[in-house]
Amino acid sequence: MSIPLPTGPQRAQLLEQLAQLCRNGESSRAQRAAAPSGFPELDANLPGGGWPIGAIAELMSDATGIGELSLLVPVLSRLARAGRHIAWIAPPYLPYAPGLAQRGLPLEHMLLIQTRSLQESLWATEQALRCPAVGAVLGWPAYIVDKNVRRLQLAAEAGGSLGILYRPPEAARASSPAALRLRLHAAPDGLAVEIHKSRGGRAGLTLRLAVAPTVAA
Amino acid sequence: MSAGLWLCIRLPRLAHEALAAAADHAAGAEAPAARHVIERAAVERAAMERLAAWAYQWTSLVSYGLDEPLLWLELAASRTLFGGHAALLAKLEAELTQLGYSHACALAPSPTGAALLTQADQQRCVTTRSQLRSRLEMLPLSLLALPQAVLAALHSAGLRRIGQLLALPAAAIARRFGPGSSLYLRQLCATASDPRPAWRMPATYRARFEFDSEVRDTTALLFPLRRLLLEFQGYLRGRDCAVLRFTLEFEHYRHAASGVTIGMSAPCRDAAQLLLLARERLQSVVLPAPVSALRLQALEFTAASVVQADFFGSNAQQLQQLQLLLDRLQARLGDGQVRGLAPAADHRPERAWRLVMPEQSTASPQTPAAARPCTLLQSPRRIEPPALLLSGPERIESGWWDGADATRDYYVARAGDGARLWVFQDLAEGAWYLQGLWT
Repeated sequence: MSIPLPTGPQRAQLLEQLAQLCRNGESSRAQRAAAPSGFPELDANLPGGGWPIGAIAELMSDATGIGELSLLVPVLSRLARAGRHIAWIAPPYLPYAPGLAQRGLPLEHMLLIQTRSLQESLWATEQALRCPAVGAVLGWPAYIVDKNVRRLQLAAEAGGSLGILYRPPEAARASSPAALRLRLHAAPDGLAVEIHKSRGGRAGLTLRLAVAPTVAA
Repeated sequence: MSAGLWLCIRLPRLAHEALAAAADHAAGAEAPAARHVIERAAVERAAMERLAAWAYQWTSLVSYGLDEPLLWLELAASRTLFGGHAALLAKLEAELTQLGYSHACALAPSPTGAALLTQADQQRCVTTRSQLRSRLEMLPLSLLALPQAVLAALHSAGLRRIGQLLALPAAAIARRFGPGSSLYLRQLCATASDPRPAWRMPATYRARFEFDSEVRDTTALLFPLRRLLLEFQGYLRGRDCAVLRFTLEFEHYRHAASGVTIGMSAPCRDAAQLLLLARERLQSVVLPAPVSALRLQALEFTAASVVQADFFGSNAQQLQQLQLLLDRLQARLGDGQVRGLAPAADHRPERAWRLVMPEQSTASPQTPAAARPCTLLQSPRRIEPPALLLSGPERIESGWWDGADATRDYYVARAGDGARLWVFQDLAEGAWYLQGLWT
């Protein structure tokens, strides 16, 4: 048994209604909470004025060591100082305690979680995102499908936390259900942040941020 | 003669149900139709011991009988504590149902009377001696726990109701049917002393659950484990304590017993939380052989005051949620996989940090004056001399006293892809190394 699809103007009207519904969904979601990034330029271009709380943000960096973590230091610091924990799930490099302390991150709120497989990493990421005592979760999944991003997004929503997924630059070629997707490029005086996707916001903009700490001789 | 108030729980299918939970979940196995009498008695006793521990949370006087599986709780002192006996009874019955035991409960001023009332169809709760007497009078003689010969003699004498027997003079009953029968009737009506041996709570907790047929899969362990943990929760409440760790042991027919220890970061006595942790832990357990029995054991207990303190503050609540998360992560990923970070007092960058237990980090007494990167390589990697040095050198010299001496000049370098690297030249050998990244 199948329902005959409407044709002609009736069909056009139906599609318009559907599009309207979709737009409503987007705008209501955009009113969700955000945490200031510490970079006014970036905040001005993100819906809610900062990193999306209760959602997943993907960071796709051209290279390692261009300031991709420094970009997060102000928000992580803010969350940790509010008493919430920061979970690092299987980072590819060691988070260096003296360096983090120098930038004002309270070390007692850092949780370093090692895993043996991608599956364990995803599980741990989800658990940490769900926990209201955790403010942000940083993950480096070698590979992740949309279904799992969606799952993590629901977990972040439940825990009111910020989920950060570091993904390879090639991931930008495919779409993702993440609320925010940023591409990061090296810049001589800091970091170039390209807004690749922003739910309820504008995409396509590239901002130059002075994220690197002063490298004094 | 005590003016106590006794709750009696009749467990008509105790042995069967103690085994059935396992059988339901052992692949394809039928509930045991006939087991050897000795095994049945052992199963009943073990189940009764667990139930006595469970019942101890409501009263300090628990007793049980095994001729017919009966469990008594003396409630005279407890009823005000738990919002009256109706509320207490409802809670008790709900937990028994959750544990999977068929049961009939009755309340009476004597243990013997309560045991008899569990067999009545209705009105099984009386609180005074006179109520008990009038309730008993209406019930059939066949409910009396007297020898069959006595019951037959009474029947042939034309007696049908307990009231008819109670109307006879006590001396006549003693003469005709022996002093035992007379005492029984007086105990029934709460007019003679009816002492019950008080069950003593063991100092350590051990519970065992035997499977009717072997279990090959850890998920099949969860159902009986749930029941074991519910009973364990009763024991912990009864002792007013909590645990920091407990052990699950698996017995195998043709293999030495194996097991896992489940630890917690905070004292716990909540069955649901304990089950959650056990489930995470079991996921990583590889059974060396099929399991024939499951044992739960706890040897150490801690004060419950920590858990009982009401967590109204959001900070305390967050702490509890964090502990639950840490326990879950540790249970699934393994000990040592969840750590905190701390600085360490050493000039050599690779030794200037350490892993600590989560949340046990302390601020460094001395942070290096020069900037340090956020990420470090596990060990320095040898590289070609960098083409572009952005800053440096920073001379780091140390370690000669423990044989790992180093004299290094550190620089910030820029790689071809724009990455900022933390590199050093080892002055002893002249070689260059990459040690960190300015992520």
